[in-house]
Amino acid sequence: MKVFEVDGSALSLALFTDVMNSNELLDAMQSATLEPEVAFLNASLVPDVFPVLVAAHKTLLAKSRETLTTRTLHSELVYNYSGSKHISESLKRCGISKDSTYVLVARFDASLDEMKSIEKLINGKEIDLEELEGRANQAQIQKHYKISGLELGISSLANAITCRIAARDAL
Amino acid sequence: MGINQDGKEGSLILLKQGAEARVFESTFVGMRSIVKERFSKKYRHPSLDAKLTLKRLNAEARCVAKARCLGVSTPVLYALDPVLHTLTFEYVEGPAVKEIFLDFGLNGVNQELMNDVAAQIGYTIGKLHDGGLIHGDLTTSNMLLQNGTNQLVLIDFGLSFMSTLPEDKAVDLYVLERALLSMHSSCGNVMDQILAAYRKSSKQWSSTWNKLAQVRQRGRKRTMVG
Repeated sequence: MKVFEVDGSALSLALFTDVMNSNELLDAMQSATLEPEVAFLNASLVPDVFPVLVAAHKTLLAKSRETLTTRTLHSELVYNYSGSKHISESLKRCGISKDSTYVLVARFDASLDEMKSIEKLINGKEIDLEELEGRANQAQIQKHYKISGLELGISSLANAITCRIAARDAL
Repeated sequence: MGINQDGKEGSLILLKQGAEARVFESTFVGMRSIVKERFSKKYRHPSLDAKLTLKRLNAEARCVAKARCLGVSTPVLYALDPVLHTLTFEYVEGPAVKEIFLDFGLNGVNQELMNDVAAQIGYTIGKLHDGGLIHGDLTTSNMLLQNGTNQLVLIDFGLSFMSTLPEDKAVDLYVLERALLSMHSSCGNVMDQILAAYRKSSKQWSSTWNKLAQVRQRGRKRTMVG
């Protein structure tokens, strides 16, 4: 688990593998009974922490201006991680599904207790964020974000994703 | 709602001011960044001004994204703020090609570096044009050479547009040619080297070259239609 500072707020990130109860987590989240509120990201789409921080920045900005597109701050984080403006499609692709086993958990301004209770909620093994790069599914990322081989020649995968997150609403 | 400039974390230091935008240095999530703020033109009608500024902002973001898709190196776009009319980019460390060439003019030409830079310029513009993207403001101050990798990075897509017309490509190249002639004539014939590299990387070279010859004859942005 690591905490990053984004625009004066803290973003806590924790990476889990071999997650067995994504079914329950998904249900709890969708019925709004998940306590405390967290964002579940499909970690195979995350090669590096930076694009998540960029999405977090966008999310906090929308919150401060009260222009959230989705219902909660944390669902907005998942939505903003996508390169597509289609809300339900983005939440499905960038969030978790019933059979996800590799999950990145994120929460804004989480206290230590909250993070501990989140760790208990998840039936899986917590691993270091450094493992993101090695476990990312490059082919899936390239397909989802429509990144050409040409672009990877001049940029990292993380930077290509960042550009799409930033420019999404201009496209 | 303006941008704060009081020297604290997340604040901005003015680097340059142009006709359309102000460029600041700042930090974005701990990374050194550039914030480009398009300011509103007070002489315009406010509703038109708001629409135009936003349109230009989005167009610039799209063009930067499109350039990257084509394999052209640009700074990474970090954020776009439609309310403050700002674009936040990665801070690219390195001199502008303008400074390098001016230095050549003063202290003699490093031929190897010159050849490398000219080849990269030609190659990059070739890729851009083949992808149907016209930069619109090709000058040596809009090209940076990244420290360490010596990779050419194009900046300022504020005047860019999509076009496949040889006329537009030729004008784009002509703007660069005039800029080189006016600023860097002491560096020798850079344009020839650039065009040689462009010819190698562009697949639509012949139509563009013919048009360039025409554009040179008459100056730019003048159609012969009476």
